[in-house]
Amino acid sequence: MKATKFAGLGLAALLFGSTAVSAKTLVYCSEGSPENFSPAINTTGTSFDAARPVYDKLTEFKRGTTEVGPGLAESWEISDGGKTIVFHLRKGVKFHTVKDFKPMRDFNADDVLFSFNRQWKPDNPYAKVSGGKYDYFNDMDMPSLLDSIEKKDDYTIVMKLKTPNVAILANLAMDFASIASAEYADFLLKKGTPEQFDQVPVGTGPFSFVAYQKDAVIRFKANKDYFGEKPLVDDLVYAITPDATARYAKLKAGECHINAFPRPADLPEMQKDTSLKVVSQSGLNIAFWAFNTTKPPFDKKEVRQALTMAIDKAAIIKDVYLGAGEAAKTLIPTTMWSYNDKIVDYPYDPEKAKAMLQAAGVTAPLDIDLWYMPVQRPYNPNGKRIGEMMQADLAKIGVNAKLVTYEWGEYRKRAQGGEDITAQLGWTGDNGDPDNFFFLDGCTDGKPAANNIPKWCNPEFNDLLVKARVIPDQAGRAKLYERMQEIEHDEAPEFLIAHSTVFEVMRANVTGYKQSPLGAHSFEGVDVQ
Amino acid sequence: MLAYFLRRILLTIPTFVALMFATFVAIRLVPGDPVEVRVGEHGISPERLAEFRHELGLDLPVWKQFLAYVWQLLHGDFGTSVATQQKVLSEFLTLFPATLELSFFAMMLALLIGVPAGAVAAVKRGSYFDQALMSVATIGYSMPIFWWGLLLIMFVAVNLGLTPVSGRIDLIRFYFEPVTGFMTVDALLSGQDGAFLDALHHLVLPAIVLGTVPLAVVARMTRSSMLEVLSEDYVRTARAKGLSPTRVFGLHALRNALLPVVTVIGLSISGLLAGAVLTETIFSWPGVGKWLIDSISRRDYPALQGGVMLVSMVVITVNVIVDLLYGVINPRIRHGR
Repeated sequence: MKATKFAGLGLAALLFGSTAVSAKTLVYCSEGSPENFSPAINTTGTSFDAARPVYDKLTEFKRGTTEVGPGLAESWEISDGGKTIVFHLRKGVKFHTVKDFKPMRDFNADDVLFSFNRQWKPDNPYAKVSGGKYDYFNDMDMPSLLDSIEKKDDYTIVMKLKTPNVAILANLAMDFASIASAEYADFLLKKGTPEQFDQVPVGTGPFSFVAYQKDAVIRFKANKDYFGEKPLVDDLVYAITPDATARYAKLKAGECHINAFPRPADLPEMQKDTSLKVVSQSGLNIAFWAFNTTKPPFDKKEVRQALTMAIDKAAIIKDVYLGAGEAAKTLIPTTMWSYNDKIVDYPYDPEKAKAMLQAAGVTAPLDIDLWYMPVQRPYNPNGKRIGEMMQADLAKIGVNAKLVTYEWGEYRKRAQGGEDITAQLGWTGDNGDPDNFFFLDGCTDGKPAANNIPKWCNPEFNDLLVKARVIPDQAGRAKLYERMQEIEHDEAPEFLIAHSTVFEVMRANVTGYKQSPLGAHSFEGVDVQ
Repeated sequence: MLAYFLRRILLTIPTFVALMFATFVAIRLVPGDPVEVRVGEHGISPERLAEFRHELGLDLPVWKQFLAYVWQLLHGDFGTSVATQQKVLSEFLTLFPATLELSFFAMMLALLIGVPAGAVAAVKRGSYFDQALMSVATIGYSMPIFWWGLLLIMFVAVNLGLTPVSGRIDLIRFYFEPVTGFMTVDALLSGQDGAFLDALHHLVLPAIVLGTVPLAVVARMTRSSMLEVLSEDYVRTARAKGLSPTRVFGLHALRNALLPVVTVIGLSISGLLAGAVLTETIFSWPGVGKWLIDSISRRDYPALQGGVMLVSMVVITVNVIVDLLYGVINPRIRHGR
C-alpha cells in the first residue's frame, strides 16, 4: 500500500515536473499580514516591513542608523535659505519585473513625480485607488510643507518648500516616500486593474516581489541588478507567525532565521541558548507622564519637579518593562544624534519631593487625577500597572492620585484636548530626526487637540526649535537641541518614564543583520552561513 | 421529503436576519471605530476624521447604516475590508479552504478514534478501559486549546522534533502557486517531491489540537448511545440468534448508535470553527478564524460583518445538510413524526 502511494507520488512528480527550491533562503518570522504593499497608503510597521525589500526612497537611512544618506537621489543641493532642494537622480536604475509587467525604461524623474503626486494631488488618477488614505504623508505635514515638486529634466527634481525645514530630508527617507514605477501605474490603469498596484509591488529595491498568501507567507527574490548593497541570499521569505511563542519555537526548530518581537519573558532563555543570537538597542520612542501646565498646581515648575522626584522610575523599569526598557532622562532616545548625555536625571527622593511641595505652597493631601493608558503601546507595556505604581509612590508624599482611563481613541482625544490634569502618553519616532520628538513640546502643538500633552509653551525652547529647522548642518542643529534638552529638564513638563528596549533574536548562523533604531526590519547585506 | 427540505430551508431565513442584526449591533457596541483605531499618537484633524467617517458611511444614523448594509447583502455584496481594501468575499474564499482542510482532518481524527473507542467502552462497560477512556474524554473536553497547542508545540515539535512547529508547508523546500487553497491537494498537484507528505506532516499537530474537543464529544456520545442501543430488544434477539459478537455490535448496534453521533458532528462544526480561531493563531494557519480576530481588533466593520455572515452561512448549511441526512437515515424524522 505504502509502496503504491510513493509510486503514485513519484509519478505525479514526473507528470508535473519538480521545481523544489534549492537556492539560499533567508526566512524571517514576521508578526502579521500587511494591509497591502504600498507604503504610501499603509499605517503599520508590519506593512512597511513587508514592502520595504521592494522599494527605495530618494534619501535613505544608512543601515542601522538614523543618519540620512543618498538613495535614488545621488546628491542634492539646498538653497534659497533652505526652501529649495535640487535632487540629482541616479541613472541606470532598473525596476523589477513581475508576473504581468516588464518595465521598458529605467527609473527617472517621472516616477518621483508620480509617487508624490498620488499622495498630494487629488486629480492624480491613483489618488483614490485602494481607499486613497495617505496618513503618513499628512501626518508628516507634507501638504503644508511642500510648495511644488517639478521635473527639471529626466534626472533632476526641484522641490520647493513653503517654509524652510531641513528635517524634510529625513521625511523623504521614510517608507511613505517610497518611489514606485509610474510606467507600471499607467500599464495597470490601461488594463483596468489599478488596485493591483498596491497588491503586487514594483520597485527598484534589493528584492523583488514574488508572491503573497494572506496570513501565511510573503516571498521575494534577490534583485541581482540592485545598485546598492547587494542581497547575499537568493530568496527572502516572510513566514507570517502571529503568536510570539510559536515564533520562538520556530526559531529554535530552525524553521526561521530571524524573529520579530520576541516576548520579554522568553529573553533570558534565548540569551542562554548558544544556537541563538539576541541583539538589542533603545527603541525610537518615549513614554511619559505629562503634567497639564495650564492647570494649577502644575503651572508651577517646582510642583512638577517634586512629583518627578516622587516616582521610583527604576522600580517601574524593573517590574513593568521587565528590564526591556531604559530609564529616560530626555525626550529623545540615546541612539539619536544630539542626545544630551550630560543631563543628570532627577533622583528618586520622596522626602525632598514632599519638602518641595510644601515650599511651593501645596497643602497635603493633594487630590489629582492620574490618567493611565488603556492600551499597550511599544513604549508602554502596561499603563495601568505603571499608574498603580505611581499612585503608591505619590501617596507617600501626600498626593492622592485617582486612576482614570477611557477607551483609547477617546483617551487620546481628551488628553490632546487638555482635559486631563496629568496623563500618561508617549511617542514613537517617525524619521529619526530630533525635530520629530521635540515638536511635542513646541508651542505650535500646545494648542488644544495637538500633540503637546502638557500644553507647555516655553518661548526659549520654541525659538530654538524653529531655528533648528533651517540650519542645514547637523552639528549646528545638534547644539540647539542639546540646549533644548536642558531647558526641558529644568522645566519638567513631563515625568519621562522610559524608552523601551527593542530586542531581536536570530539563529547564530545569521550574519550581517543590523538593527534599525527606527524599528524597521531590512535584509540586504544579511547572510545565512 | 421535498416539503421537509423546503421547510428546513425557509427556517434559515429568520436565523440569517437575526444574525445580520446581531453582528451589526455587536461590533458597534465595542468602543472605537475603524478610523479611530487607525489613528496613532499623531492624532487626526477633525476635518480628516469627518471626511473618513463620511466615506465609510459612519456619519449616518445607525439604522440607515443597517439598511444600507442589508441592501448591499441582498445584492450579494459582502462589502470591502477597510484595512486591506479587498472584497470581503474574495478574502473569505482565499482563507476558507485552509480552515476547511484543518477542520476536516480534525473531524476525521475525532471520528476515526472517537467512534471505535466509544463503542469499545460501551461494550466493555465498567472495565478499566471504559473508565480510563471516559476520564481522558473529560480532560479532552475541558482542555484549554491555547495551552494544549503550545504544550504540543514545545514538546512534540521543539523537544522531540517529530513535527514542524507551525505553518502549512516547509517554506524553504517547497514553493508552488495555490490552485485549490487546500494545501494537501495543491501539494499533490504541484508534483514536487515530498510536498504532499510534508503538508500532511504540518497538519498533525493542529489537527490533534482542534480535534481534541470533538474527539472527546464523539467518544462520549458514541458510548452513551451504544449503551442505549445495547439494551434494545433487537440486540438481544440478535444475540439469541447466536450471531457473532462482531456482527451484533458492529452491524446491529453500532449502526443504530451512530444516529445521534451524526447530529453531534453537525453541531461540532460551529465548535470547530470557534476552536479554529485559537488553533489558527497558534499554528500560524491562514484561515478565517484568525482573519475574524484581526478584523475585530481593527474594527474592520465590513470584514467582520461579512465574515461572520459567511461563516454562519457555512454553519447553517452544514446543519441543514446534517438534518436532511438525519432525515434520510431515520424516516421517522423525515415525516415530521
